[in-house]
Amino acid sequence: MRTVTWLLVLAGVGIAVAGIAAILGQAASGAQPWSNELSDNFVFIKAIPFVLGLGVVVGLLGGTPSRGAHATRTDGAVRRFSRTSIFLHWVITLGFLLALPTGVWQYLGGILDVNAPLPLYLIYRVHYIGASVILFSLAAYVSYGWMSRDRSLLVPLGQWRSHLRGLMDELPRAISSRIAGLLRVNMREAAPRAGTFTFYEKVVSFPSWTFVLVLITVTGLVKAARFGVELPGLFVYFNSTLHVTAMVLIVVKVLDHLRYTVARWPMMVAMVTGWLPARRPDARRAPAAESTGSNAAGVLRGSDS
Amino acid sequence: MRRLAALLALMWALANAALSYFFVTSAFVAKTAAKEGLLAQLSLLVGGVLIAGFAILLARECVRMMTSAGASGNA
Repeated sequence: MRTVTWLLVLAGVGIAVAGIAAILGQAASGAQPWSNELSDNFVFIKAIPFVLGLGVVVGLLGGTPSRGAHATRTDGAVRRFSRTSIFLHWVITLGFLLALPTGVWQYLGGILDVNAPLPLYLIYRVHYIGASVILFSLAAYVSYGWMSRDRSLLVPLGQWRSHLRGLMDELPRAISSRIAGLLRVNMREAAPRAGTFTFYEKVVSFPSWTFVLVLITVTGLVKAARFGVELPGLFVYFNSTLHVTAMVLIVVKVLDHLRYTVARWPMMVAMVTGWLPARRPDARRAPAAESTGSNAAGVLRGSDS
Repeated sequence: MRRLAALLALMWALANAALSYFFVTSAFVAKTAAKEGLLAQLSLLVGGVLIAGFAILLARECVRMMTSAGASGNA
């Protein structure tokens, strides 16, 4: 199985490299009378299938079960992220670092009517590179999730109510006391225990990340395709508005993500090592192995919980 | 390491606070009203306020972490 996956990855890398080389060769030939900006746009559009394909095969490889992957360590630490998750997390972080500031500049530069010290096409070029990195990561994440069957960040069907109950305990009391009634959460019920991920991550963070990433991807693809496909002007206008909305939401999400993880240092460590330390140094049993959920999130108490 | 991470996050928060300033001030200039319209002004204002709010929350966490970096086990 692993050999087949490796062969798929090699084929995917080969096709991606050949495709992107051909695309860049076409762009450099000077056959088209396009500006740098328009030429880059077409390079980006044509590269998308190869980028997505490469992401899919990398995700397939990462999701293939490996013999050395254990859920717990002898010291009680719990595996929170696989190597693939860690790799893709940092790759998508790089994508955001490239795409977000350049996207903000494209928007604010137009609003403020100011010119950057760099030509605008260079800013767009970096934006397209960042967007390609993000597309690669998303495709890889989806295929990785499908292959590995890892659903630890998803709320299982029929468990939304109990997860909302758990979330109320993680939120500051000033907030939970206000929204518990609105969400019809029965605070008399005992709160379940979180798994490897906190209720905030499963109920709030991951679903909202999914929403904003889908929004920015779909609207970004439409924006990129608008020079190749004829689209109604009003549709393009609303699509651009939604793309900017998604950008602002991602800026907010990144801030919230950093706020949440900075306050919980083990999360930051786990995003590098993959391991979440046990709550007690002498713990002999991994929290995730307990029958009624886990107390792994117990080490993740932050200042706002 | 904690202090370095907190410092980097604080710099990110400050950059975003500056961004929110441009969002909010852009919402009130005549040029935006003429070029973009009321909806864009409102979006800039709401977006700017949201970004500012979350930037403050992050900055608060960073400062808290930097000042208590010596004490272990409270993260």
